[in-house]
Amino acid sequence: MAEAAAPILAVEGLSVSYATPYARLFALDDVSLAIPRGEVLGLVGESGSGKSTVVLAALGLLGEAASVSARRAEFDGRDLLADAAALRGRRIGVVFQDPAAALNPALSIGLQVAEPMLTHQRLPRTEAYARAAALLGELGIPRVAEIMQAYPHQLSGGMKQRAMIAAALAGEPELLLLDEPTTALDVTIEAQILDLLEGLRASRGLSMLLVSHNLGIVGRLCDRLTILYAGRTVETGPTAAVLAAPRHPYTRGLLGALPRPEARARRLLPIPGALPDLRSPDPGCNFRPRCPLAVAACAEPQAMLPAGPARRVRCHRHALVADLPLLLDPVAPSRPSAAAPLVDVEGLTRGFGGPTLLRRRRTRVHAVDGMSLTIHPGEIVGLVGESGCGKSTLARLILRLLPADGGRLAFDGRPVPERPDLAFRRRAQIVLQNPDGSLNPRRTVEAILRRPLAHFGLAQGAAAGREVARLLELVRLPEAYRSRYPHQLSGGEKQRVGIARALATRPDFLVCDEAVSALDVSVQAAVLNLLQDLRDTLGVAYLFISHDIGVIAHIADTIVVMYRGHAMERGPADAVLHAPHHPYTEALLSAGAARQMRLVDTAPSGAGCRFAGACPRKLGAICDIEPPPWREASAGHRILCHIPVEQLARPGLRPGPAGARRPQTP
Amino acid sequence: MSAAALRHAASRRLPGTLLLGGAVLGAIAVLAVIGPWITPYNPTAFAVRFRFVPPGAAHWFGTDEFGRDVLSRVLAGAHYSLVMGFGATALSLAVGVPLGLLAAFHRGLVEEAIMRPIDLLISLPPVLLGLLILAVTPPNLFKTVLAVGIVYVPILARLSRAVALGLLEEDFVTAARARGEGAVSILAREILPNAWPPIIVESGLRVTFAILLGSSLSFLGLGPQPPGSEWGLMIAESREFLDRAPWIGLAPGFSLCVLLIAVNLFGEGLREFLDPRLRGRAGG
Amino acid sequence: MGLYLARRLLAMLGVVWAMSVLIFGIIHILPGNVAYAILGEYATPQAVAILEDRLGLHDPLPLQYWHWFSALLHGDLGRSLVMDRPAGPLIFEALGHSAILAGSSFLLVAVFGILLGVHAATHRGTAVDRALTLMQLGFIAIPDFFWAILLILIFAAWLHWLPATGYAPLDGGDLLAWLSHLVLPVFVLSIGLIAHVSRLTRSSMLEALESRYVLAARAKGLPARLVLGRHALPNALLPTITILAIDAGLLIGGVVVVETVFAYPGLGRLLIFAIDHHDLPLLQAGMMVVTTIYALANLIADLGYALLDPRIRVGAHA
Repeated sequence: MAEAAAPILAVEGLSVSYATPYARLFALDDVSLAIPRGEVLGLVGESGSGKSTVVLAALGLLGEAASVSARRAEFDGRDLLADAAALRGRRIGVVFQDPAAALNPALSIGLQVAEPMLTHQRLPRTEAYARAAALLGELGIPRVAEIMQAYPHQLSGGMKQRAMIAAALAGEPELLLLDEPTTALDVTIEAQILDLLEGLRASRGLSMLLVSHNLGIVGRLCDRLTILYAGRTVETGPTAAVLAAPRHPYTRGLLGALPRPEARARRLLPIPGALPDLRSPDPGCNFRPRCPLAVAACAEPQAMLPAGPARRVRCHRHALVADLPLLLDPVAPSRPSAAAPLVDVEGLTRGFGGPTLLRRRRTRVHAVDGMSLTIHPGEIVGLVGESGCGKSTLARLILRLLPADGGRLAFDGRPVPERPDLAFRRRAQIVLQNPDGSLNPRRTVEAILRRPLAHFGLAQGAAAGREVARLLELVRLPEAYRSRYPHQLSGGEKQRVGIARALATRPDFLVCDEAVSALDVSVQAAVLNLLQDLRDTLGVAYLFISHDIGVIAHIADTIVVMYRGHAMERGPADAVLHAPHHPYTEALLSAGAARQMRLVDTAPSGAGCRFAGACPRKLGAICDIEPPPWREASAGHRILCHIPVEQLARPGLRPGPAGARRPQTP
Repeated sequence: MSAAALRHAASRRLPGTLLLGGAVLGAIAVLAVIGPWITPYNPTAFAVRFRFVPPGAAHWFGTDEFGRDVLSRVLAGAHYSLVMGFGATALSLAVGVPLGLLAAFHRGLVEEAIMRPIDLLISLPPVLLGLLILAVTPPNLFKTVLAVGIVYVPILARLSRAVALGLLEEDFVTAARARGEGAVSILAREILPNAWPPIIVESGLRVTFAILLGSSLSFLGLGPQPPGSEWGLMIAESREFLDRAPWIGLAPGFSLCVLLIAVNLFGEGLREFLDPRLRGRAGG
Repeated sequence: MGLYLARRLLAMLGVVWAMSVLIFGIIHILPGNVAYAILGEYATPQAVAILEDRLGLHDPLPLQYWHWFSALLHGDLGRSLVMDRPAGPLIFEALGHSAILAGSSFLLVAVFGILLGVHAATHRGTAVDRALTLMQLGFIAIPDFFWAILLILIFAAWLHWLPATGYAPLDGGDLLAWLSHLVLPVFVLSIGLIAHVSRLTRSSMLEALESRYVLAARAKGLPARLVLGRHALPNALLPTITILAIDAGLLIGGVVVVETVFAYPGLGRLLIFAIDHHDLPLLQAGMMVVTTIYALANLIADLGYALLDPRIRVGAHA
């Protein structure tokens, strides 16, 4: 480690607070970090940790409402707090989370990239545009001349983020601040962007601050990590060391809560409790209410203590952290069900748009195109796919919330009509993604849980009251939550009420549509465990839908991989997670394969494979013209691909570009 | 809204604008109701000997060209503006909200059948639409209320449709659908409890505009007819005597201003109270 | 863009046609005998019969409509009953006067509304910002006809600075007289709408200033001038254009009232004349002209919106 070299960015004791109507809010409290020149520092924290505040403070863009102080804040020897306005855009570049929001919708891409060169370097217009085009080309953007003239709404998410990065690089900065640069993107695009950043770091000698909630991605790019919890740095050290042997209970907790394909048979270890109130910061350790190691002495103010080579940790009991378990006991493997399928879907199809009275020539776009799957009683089928693949539409088709254009749907052996009866509605329920939208904000928890009981005539009066108590207990919420309104609950608690509402009808089948995607890792783990337990105790079957293959790998018995409205691969989870893979599954599972996916992914025209346009292992014209066959890889494991199974079993990786490293996850 | 939710809402502090506007509005409403009994003079009785008496002890607001007491006339005319403002708004609520909800709920043909005519009504400037409705038949208060109400139906229909469309996308409505709840039940239990705050806020603003539009139409002679003392009409009749007896027009004019300020404060207060974007996030 | 333009133009023609049905329908279907409405309730049956014959009122309604509408398409706006002259020249002369009034007011509203709104957004809580809030209240609380009365009282009756009412033709060469008759009406028409436009421009500007793309522009180290002018303003003006279109409608209504108060010989006063004298052909024709102008204003607003918003100007795919 180049520990001795003067850091390009050095921040010590950074504090930020805001005046709110009722009390002062302490967003950052004594945060320290340092980025050695040419290195990448990962700043990791969950929502509310204050990680984005660090970025805005470094840019001097927090606004007048914030009071900022620091013992030391220097960029290359200059006072960062005083000179931020002169440094940003010139020597410090920044890439924000959601490129759709961060690019100006009214300006062309070319202008937005060339802008810093026009203002800072005062280049003539033609030269600035020529350099902007070259920069976009360097970042792997095809058809540069066309893209220069395009507007943000015409670009895909990955292209937008490349344009954002180009704009950040246009001022030729030495330090790049990356605020959740891949969070709004699909995993395959994320892999490509990370790859790009890795390459830039090598070719331009850039230093970077990568802010993320995702331990998986910081591991791939960062030399050092700093972990942030509720406005305080709790641990810092070399990436590999921190991930392999975390020394702060919170870091340990984050790792234990992270679902990973490699450890799918182990139970997750959620962090109990919730983020502390930032309006009255704990003078002692602010993680102590959630900490398994907490003792009386934790109420004392904690300093960052040295803990091994180049490591510091804000915990006086850090020596004991190594003894905490990272994962709990293996879960009992689910018994394969020999019973008849509970849900039987065949060739389900649904399109959107299409000809109307006024526009006869519009074509109908098929969101779900001939999907088939079966779900047995008590089975968890994981459906994984990226945004726009049609997985949520499929969920609504299976519950008959949307009329299908074609295909068959049978439940418990009987076909389900277009307008299903109450019996089907009672037995098939849904848990939805957005914790803020899934509960009616004007009703109490009790009213929300009583509604299905009354609607299906399951319980009334005192019996319904007892039933509400049973449901709350089932989802591990205190009885006192009955009288609460949704806005008085945390995200995880709202999601539990949503699950309880779905369970109120004692269903046999539950569709979980991205049910944990909006939750922080530590909360997500608890909800995943809960769902797993409910399956084990109640025998409910799930169709578990997620874009996150880690989550799917963790919970599912059977996995279906979906791409552009159609299944690409299906089979028992253990089989799907190991080679042979469909090339798309391979890209979802491995960053190495994803970075070789093609960027130009125009919609398929003919009868060929839907993935052909983006496939890194495309054979040739056959993929475009002929529909691929289902190939049987093992019992029940089938892959839709022209490539023979034996070849699919060998990884399709070509040697990666210079500077690229294998993903390192602990 | 359940009792608990009401208690929850009541526990928030009422904005000062709401209280002040409500108090003034209440006072005007009381005056409008008891006006006929407390007017110092008969508001329509001519008194030729007392024409153009300036404001003074006997006639606080002076007298007009027929010797009628202006204060009495202003008091007797207070109810017109209130009826036009609140009556017309109630009418546009009663017609616009169901239309908007229906259009949101039944996409396709029903929606087209409702929204196209509404788009058409919006493509006529408000005063013109009022003029058109009132042009042919003899004007009176009821017709003015009707015309103003019709003018604002499209705005409330569009708003309720937009609000309902947003709510229909919410996950809790999907959950209700997954239970097989019917349209009426979803509208009543899931949509309306969440849709009424923005609709009420808009209605508060509409009352102001309805009073403005109603008095403008009266001013143009398309409202209550003489000898009624609608304030806009009084101002129109006073024009001839503006340099001789300005008080005849100023008294109803300033009364109208006070009423409009009160209604506007009340509407702003309602918005502050109900609009979640302006509300503090202190839960618990 | 070409396709968009063609679609908007077609939609506008559709609206104008539908408005012709609506205007004709409301005037002819509302209860009340048209001939009696025109002649008064004591008219002799013979007079009624003659008039009904002259107006073609014996024909079925659709046929009456067709006669009227096809004449419109040929540029024939009908005949004023009361003045016994073709309606077209009457209307277009009045329209010319109104156009001066409405046009100059609208220009003031657009320019000052946007300038003041942007200024208030970038100088929050300052005197100008607070003055605008008060102005908005003035707009809401003082009806335009009362504004007119107050101004006539102050500037004409008391100070004798300006003429109270009327119009001085420009061809007399007296520019000052012409202008002096415009000052008060234009002020009354524009003051409230300036407040309205500036308040809404202020809030859309504030929204743009709080957006991620403005944050990103500032993070690029751009000077404040560029952040405001290039990044925030084009997006903030989108809602302002919609508001300007709505205010064009309010302005047309205001013109009717203001022309009546100031005895200004414009289209608004002509419409009120037609209503007062039950001159239905003149009323129908005048309403059609106003509607068409308003539809044109909306079309222009749509095009302005499209020019500023690339999501409409250029298609979805690069």
